[in-house]
Amino acid sequence: MKVVKITAIWCSACLIMNKIWKQILEKYDIETIELDLDMDMEEVDNYKPGDILPVFIFLDNEKEIKRITGEVKYDDLVKILEELGFSEKNS
Amino acid sequence: MIYLDYAATTPVDDEVLDTFIKVSKNYMANPNSLHKLGVKAKELIDASTAQVAKILHVKESEIIYTSGASEANNTAIKGICLKYQNRGKHIITTKLEHSSVTGAIAYLQTQGYDVDFVELDSYGRVDLDNLKSLIREDTILVSIASVNSEVGIIQPIEEIANILKEYPKVYFHTDITQSVGKINFDLTNVDLASFSAQKIYGIKGVGCLIKKESIKIEPLIHGGKSTTIYRSGTPATALIVSLAKALRLIYEKKESNYNYVANLNSYLYQKLKDCKNIHINSNEYCSPYIFNFSIPGIKPETMLHALEMDDIFISTQTACSSNTKSLAVYELFHEEKYANSTIRVSLSHLTTKEELDIFIDKLLSNIERLLVFNEGR
Repeated sequence: MKVVKITAIWCSACLIMNKIWKQILEKYDIETIELDLDMDMEEVDNYKPGDILPVFIFLDNEKEIKRITGEVKYDDLVKILEELGFSEKNS
Repeated sequence: MIYLDYAATTPVDDEVLDTFIKVSKNYMANPNSLHKLGVKAKELIDASTAQVAKILHVKESEIIYTSGASEANNTAIKGICLKYQNRGKHIITTKLEHSSVTGAIAYLQTQGYDVDFVELDSYGRVDLDNLKSLIREDTILVSIASVNSEVGIIQPIEEIANILKEYPKVYFHTDITQSVGKINFDLTNVDLASFSAQKIYGIKGVGCLIKKESIKIEPLIHGGKSTTIYRSGTPATALIVSLAKALRLIYEKKESNYNYVANLNSYLYQKLKDCKNIHINSNEYCSPYIFNFSIPGIKPETMLHALEMDDIFISTQTACSSNTKSLAVYELFHEEKYANSTIRVSLSHLTTKEELDIFIDKLLSNIERLLVFNEGR
């Protein structure tokens, strides 16, 4: 499973989620593809990101199984990851 | 044409343009050249710098000319953070900043800087207690705009600066682009402030960073001394002189312009406040130059183009971010329906009541037409 993370440089919620996602990656091994809304327009268009940034798209064998948009608290994100079957690196 | 997008940019004042043309023709030499033509150009720049400094109550040596406010914001933010990175890598800002502030900070985040966003009250003003609580040993910069460009929220810059005075290792930068020539502010305890000429009826392509004399920054553009060591490049004499002229002209009429625009804003508010399809986003802590509202159910770009057909020009949000949701309006109300349907009307001393009457009339008829159309779909 991998995650496509769509952000923009002018988006404050993206800065907040960058920080939270960095904390997540310290605990979880998740392949993350980083896309910039303005710089990677063609690729981003494929995922139809909508109006709310950032967007986290969880892909299982290239099939979207979950999408998260906007600001999400660390603990809520952990819950979502566990529901999706991710487990901590050391567990 | 009815232009109501003065917060995006302003038309050039005839006198300013005249100055620009005359200086371009008559002072063509490089101000750093040693011959008398260069000296003459440098003297003119120095006189302009003295004028800018006097108007803004800062020192001449504190003025750095840039290509605009975006460069000034980037120079201030990256300049401080790169220069003082050994002291710490923590930055505090708000969710109401211009994209050139958020963008510069986002870049620094990729370089290992840590960013915190200060909480806002229900009017969008910075929560001063929360600001104090966010300051850490490694905090080096706080960047908060004096006036938000989308909704017009005025921040208590002097109070923030007074708080930060107690933390000598924390520098305070404020973007004064929407305040210069419009709103009163005091830069006494502010370390860095940025603005551009194009928002005050000057020419596009010139701006200014005010930096306290005692502070050093890492330049963005290296290449030796220009008008200062902090921004290299041949000094743009005509643009600099035109900036000083624009500043002088706008400050001569600042109070009367403010009162006039405040009356226009109040008129607009009275006319629109009871319209059931309109939600007014600006509040009593906002600059009268900006009037922001939402029309839930109508896409802002649809309204923009509908009004454009009547030769009326407004804005959907700031012209500087490319998604359709207003981040500032979302921060105020946490409601998608308001954030996704935002219209910004920005006023000027050039705006007339008659123009507003036409705008209101066309706005209301378009709302009715577009909502009926949407219902029928």
